[in-house]
Amino acid sequence: MESSALTPQTGAAARLIAAEGLVKRFGAITALDDVTVVLDAPATGLLGGNGAGKSTLMRSLLGLVRPDAGRVEVLGVDAAGHAADVRRRLGYMPELDCLPLDMTARDLVVHMAELRGLPRRDAVLRASEVLFQVGLEEERSRLIRTFSTGMKQRAKLAQALVHSPELVVLDEPTNGLDPSGREEMLALVRRLSSELGIAVLLSSHVLEDVTRTCDAVVVLRDGRVVASGRIDELRGLSGDGVLVRVTGDAGRFEARLASRGLTAARRDGDITVSGAGEDALLDGVRDAAAEAGVALRELRPAGRTLEDALVDVLE
Amino acid sequence: MSSSGPQAARASDAEIRDVRYGTYSGERRGRGAAVMSLARWGALRSLGARRGWKAKAVPIALILLAVAPAVIVLGVRALFADQTGIDLTDALPFSDYQAIIGVVILLFAGITTPELLCPDRRDGTLQLYFSTAVSRGEYLAGRVIAAIAPLLLVTLAPMLVLYAGILVFEEHPVGYLQDHWAELPRILGAGVILAVYYGVVGLAVASLTGRRAFAIGGYLLLLVAPTVLSGLLLEAFPDAEWLNLIALSTLPIGFAGELFPDARADIPGELWQYLLAFVVVVGVASLVLLRRYRPGAEA
Repeated sequence: MESSALTPQTGAAARLIAAEGLVKRFGAITALDDVTVVLDAPATGLLGGNGAGKSTLMRSLLGLVRPDAGRVEVLGVDAAGHAADVRRRLGYMPELDCLPLDMTARDLVVHMAELRGLPRRDAVLRASEVLFQVGLEEERSRLIRTFSTGMKQRAKLAQALVHSPELVVLDEPTNGLDPSGREEMLALVRRLSSELGIAVLLSSHVLEDVTRTCDAVVVLRDGRVVASGRIDELRGLSGDGVLVRVTGDAGRFEARLASRGLTAARRDGDITVSGAGEDALLDGVRDAAAEAGVALRELRPAGRTLEDALVDVLE
Repeated sequence: MSSSGPQAARASDAEIRDVRYGTYSGERRGRGAAVMSLARWGALRSLGARRGWKAKAVPIALILLAVAPAVIVLGVRALFADQTGIDLTDALPFSDYQAIIGVVILLFAGITTPELLCPDRRDGTLQLYFSTAVSRGEYLAGRVIAAIAPLLLVTLAPMLVLYAGILVFEEHPVGYLQDHWAELPRILGAGVILAVYYGVVGLAVASLTGRRAFAIGGYLLLLVAPTVLSGLLLEAFPDAEWLNLIALSTLPIGFAGELFPDARADIPGELWQYLLAFVVVVGVASLVLLRRYRPGAEA
């Protein structure tokens, strides 16, 4: 799917990022190959394997890499020509280690706020706020060299948010995190666009990270855009109901579903339930399971998953 | 117990802050403020601020050593002047001060300048800085200021302490100030010359490596080896005064000494020669710095 699959843009003001014919080569390697894409969703995931071109695209947006051809606009500003203007309005969380180990988290965030133009007093106040938001308020006076990987990721996120950016660019934010750290980071990222009103561009090679935190996705492979669009459109969720697996008397469960006006179709142990809106459907499944005395082993959308859609595209 | 008095005053001063994340719409300063932030945090780091006592011990000890000659002379004057009739201006001329503490200045620069660049390169912090609106030129400007400002504590402050001490002990301070006001710009110039020279050369060497130990060793080798060579060659060719100009560790001290008329006769070479050598060394060091921080060089 090319960029034509994107949600129609509603005007330049709504376009967070627009790249056109972007090409970047490093010697014989073509990192970006004619990338044309428009991003306007509150949170967009950049998906692709190692070497797909995610980081190069992000660095092009920040003006840290000058494209060999094409142009890229970020927040309506030419990123190559006015890189400093763009970077003032962005927050960037790099993938690799980049934190000064001999500073405290508080000092780092205050310093980064000052570099982005905040007066010292405001920088100190904002640092407190943002460290509280990322859950580092208790650790703010510790040297970063004593931090765990998860705490370092939080500190990187805090410095990216301290100046109140319009768009935050997160390069592999869950890298190196243990399962609980990953859960917390994903929850934080989701909050950025849903509660704090900050647009998010997140790169990952983990599909689940993107589906849990983003509204739209751009898939890169070998430097080319192979799919892009809103996630719910790509996987075609609406109206497909949910797929349920239960332990216990499945027939009794189906009867209870039917008594609630829901349609149940069984195939190979999977029961596809439909016939109501999303909330009513989920409530009906829960209540029917309770009444039938069955245990829910699996409950997920019955439509194609994003993974299915991406496999289709990649094949 | 009454609630009036200091406790009540403190209670009324208390305020509850909302620490929820909100949009910042306050003042945003220009690029100069970012440069000064880089300079301020860099200078603090090089002096060991907000770090353990080990990081602070060496810079503080060197600053105390640099001030020690002035304090000792002033102390002797305070305790024994009536008996000895000591003349402070003769006891420790300003033109000799930097030569006396030359090793201290050399070591101070060798220890503090790598602290400004090596950790940023080692920890990958450069990509974080350059992802903000900070340009490479602004980064370097901030770091050069951060190198020079602490160096003034050992190149300039001790002479100012001595000057202030002389004023205090003079029977007619205003008269002394009128007679010797011209010493102040010379002191200032001498302090700045040494701080700029050792600071820029130290940064240039530090820009070549992410390892602080290598930067310190390289810096000392770069400055001391030509000085030793110069000394050996002068033994063989005593009339070749220009050989003093390749003594890189003492070159700025000779240049600064030329600013003081009473010392010119004792310093081999001319002021313009020292100026030229100073410009060449600082210029080459600056070029190295710019080259090491050109786009893509740190990758």
